[in-house]
Amino acid sequence: MTVEYVDAGEAFNHNKLSNLPHSAPDVTRGINYERILQARTAEPNNWITYYGAYDGKRHSLLDQINVDNVKNLKVAWIHQASATGLIASTSTYAFEACPIVVDGVMFVTGWDGWLWALDAKTGDQLWRYKHAIPFDVTLCCANVNRGCAVANGKVYMVTQNAQLVALDATNGQKVWQKTIGDVRAGESASIAPLVIKDTLITGSAGGEYGVRGHIDCWDLETGEQRWRTYTIPKPGEPGSETWPADGEAWQRGGANHWVTGTFDPELNLYYAGTGNPAPDFDGEVREGDNLYTDSVVALDVDTGEIKWHYQFTPHDLWDYDSTMEMTLFERDGKKLLAHFDKNGYMFVIDRTNGELQHATPFVDRIDWGTISRDGKFMPRKYPDKEGEPCHFYPGPAGAKEWTHASYNPNHDLFYVPVADVGATATRRRREFKEGMPYWGAAVEVDVDNMAGSVSAFDSHGEEKWRYRMDMPMAASTLSTEGNLVFAGTPTGEFMALHAETGEKLWSFQCGSGHHSSPSTYSLDGKQYISVPVGWGGWLEGIIPGMSGQGHGAALITFAL
Amino acid sequence: MTTAQEREDLLAELSGQNKATIGSVLGTGSIGKATERADGTMEATIRIPEDAMAWEPSILVLPHGGKLELTIINDDKNTHACLLPSNGDRQFIGLLNHSKGRATLELDGPGCYWYGSPAGNDEGRGLTAAIVVTGEVPPEAKLDRPAQPRP
Repeated sequence: MTVEYVDAGEAFNHNKLSNLPHSAPDVTRGINYERILQARTAEPNNWITYYGAYDGKRHSLLDQINVDNVKNLKVAWIHQASATGLIASTSTYAFEACPIVVDGVMFVTGWDGWLWALDAKTGDQLWRYKHAIPFDVTLCCANVNRGCAVANGKVYMVTQNAQLVALDATNGQKVWQKTIGDVRAGESASIAPLVIKDTLITGSAGGEYGVRGHIDCWDLETGEQRWRTYTIPKPGEPGSETWPADGEAWQRGGANHWVTGTFDPELNLYYAGTGNPAPDFDGEVREGDNLYTDSVVALDVDTGEIKWHYQFTPHDLWDYDSTMEMTLFERDGKKLLAHFDKNGYMFVIDRTNGELQHATPFVDRIDWGTISRDGKFMPRKYPDKEGEPCHFYPGPAGAKEWTHASYNPNHDLFYVPVADVGATATRRRREFKEGMPYWGAAVEVDVDNMAGSVSAFDSHGEEKWRYRMDMPMAASTLSTEGNLVFAGTPTGEFMALHAETGEKLWSFQCGSGHHSSPSTYSLDGKQYISVPVGWGGWLEGIIPGMSGQGHGAALITFAL
Repeated sequence: MTTAQEREDLLAELSGQNKATIGSVLGTGSIGKATERADGTMEATIRIPEDAMAWEPSILVLPHGGKLELTIINDDKNTHACLLPSNGDRQFIGLLNHSKGRATLELDGPGCYWYGSPAGNDEGRGLTAAIVVTGEVPPEAKLDRPAQPRP
C-alpha cells in the first residue's frame, strides 16, 4: 500500500529563522558622487567609502576619542559570525573587510559571500545577504572580501567567484548581478568596489594562476560595463615591448588589481595598484620589465585609458605586488602620491605625471637588491637557477602586505603596518595550465625569524617613531583627529598609539588576530571605533609562525 | 595499486551506516544529472533512502548555472532537514519522516556546492552532498586572450 508523503512544503530563506527585521533605513539613497567627494570634511560621522575618502588617507576628523580619554575605551557591541557547512578555504577564511557606515547603519562584508547590515549603535543585525560560493573556487590566499560600496539606495560587493552584485540597501534583495571574471581561468574577486560619478570600479584577482589582469568600470544603476582596461598589454599596444615578442607570456602575465584604488577628482585619475607578474618567481619565461605588473597605473576614469604609470619592481622575481593603497597628499603645492611597496621601499610620486620624487626604505631588512633615492633599481638576489634555493628579504608577503597605512596631515606622518620576515624560494619551472597555480617556485617563508612594527614616516621618508613587535603587522592602521593611531596585532591586541610618539595608550585583547581595516564613525554625538577581527588569510606567506593561532570571526565596536 | 573493480568493491565496503566506519563517507554515493526544460530551468530530485543517512544522488550534476527546481524526499524513518546554497540566502526545509518538499535554487556556474542536513551530526554521518555546476562563464566574462591549455 502506498502511503502519501507528508507535505514538507517549499524551502525558504534560512534567515527567516532568526530575529532579523529584514529591513534597514534607506540611508544610502542620498549617497552620491558629490557626497563622497566631501566625505571627510562634510560628514566625518560616517565612513561612506572604502578608505573613508577618495584620497586613501584613512584619517578621520572625529576627535571625541583622544589621547586623554582613550584609556576609557570599552566594548560597545560585538557582531559574531562564523562559517557553517563546507565552505571554500574552510581552514583559512578571514575577516578582511573595512566597515562602511551611513547614518547609523553599518554595511560589512565577510568571507564566502556574506554581507551584513547592522545597527551601528547596537550591533543588531538588520538584514543579511549570502551569495552561494562554490567550494572549489580558485582562491590563492583564502576566502576573503575587503568591503562594499554604497550609493543610490544600493550596496555593491564582489564575490569570491567573480560576480558583482548590487543589493537594495533597505532589505538586501539583489537588484542586479554581473559576472566579472572567469573562474575557470583562475580568476576571483576580493576588492571593495569604489563608486566614482555614476559608475563603480572593480578589479580582478588571480595573479598566482596566470591570468591577464584587468580593471573594470560598471554603470551604477544597470551594471552595464562602461570600460575594461587590461593591465597587461597585447602585442602592439604600448608596453607590449616589455614582454617577450614571440611568446605567450603576456597572456598569463598577472598584474591584477585586487585592492581598491584612490581617485583625484581634479585630475579625473583613478590610481590603481597592480599585482605580481606570473609566474611569480620564474622570470626566464617572461624576459623584460613586464608592464604593467607591480605598478601604479593612472587611469582616466571616464575612458579607462592609462595616462601614466610607474613600475615599482620591474621584472619582479620576488612576488612583490604593488596593489596596496596609493595615498594622495599635497606638499609644497605639489600633488603627490605615497605608496609603501612590498619591496620594502616608500615611493613618493608626482601624481599629475608619474614622476618619482624619491624612494626610501621603510623596513630594516632588505637584501633582494636596492633602489636608490632617485629610483635606480638594482636587483641582487633572486631565484635564478632551477632547484637552487634563494633566501631574500622581504619575503613574498612583502615589507607591507595589502593592509593599509594611514596618514595624519597635521603631522605629515604615515602610520605603516610593517612586516620584517624573509623567505626562501627555489625555482621550479612548471608548464602553464589554465586554472592551476603558476608560481614557478617552491616557497618557504621564515617561521621563527620575524619582526614587525607600526612605524611613522614623514612624507620625505624619515622615520619619526616605531612601535616594535616581535612579529609582522598584518592589519591596516586608522588615524584620527584625536591624535591617535589604531592598529590590531596578529596576537589579537587592538591598540591605540599616540600619533606623535607611538606610545601605547590603550589596548584590548580581541581573542583573534587582526587582518582587516578598522573604521570610525559617530552617532548621536558618540564616536565609535569598529574593527573586524578574524585571523586567517595567506598566513603561510604573511606570518607562518602564527598560522596555528586559531580562527575567529567577530566585529568589535568600541566607544567611551 | 587499486584496479577499477577493487575500487568498486572497496566503495561497497564503505557504503552504508555503521559498517566500515560509523557513518557514510562523503562523496562515495551515486551520481545523477538534472534535466533541463526548454526555458533553461533545471529539475532534479534528491532523496534520503531509509537508514542510508545519505543523499541520493550524492553528486547532482547541472549542465550550467541558473535556476534549479528540486524535489526533496525523505524516505527515512527519522526526521532530517536540508540546507541548500542559493544566491541571496541558503534555502532551508524541514523533512519529517516520510515527507516530500521543494526548493528553488539560483547558482552561478561553474563550480561545486555542498549542502546538508543541519540536524545533529547528520552532515557527518553522510547527509552531505554536492551539486556540481558544469559549463563555462558567459563569453563576455572571459579574458581577452587566446584559448589556453587546461589540465
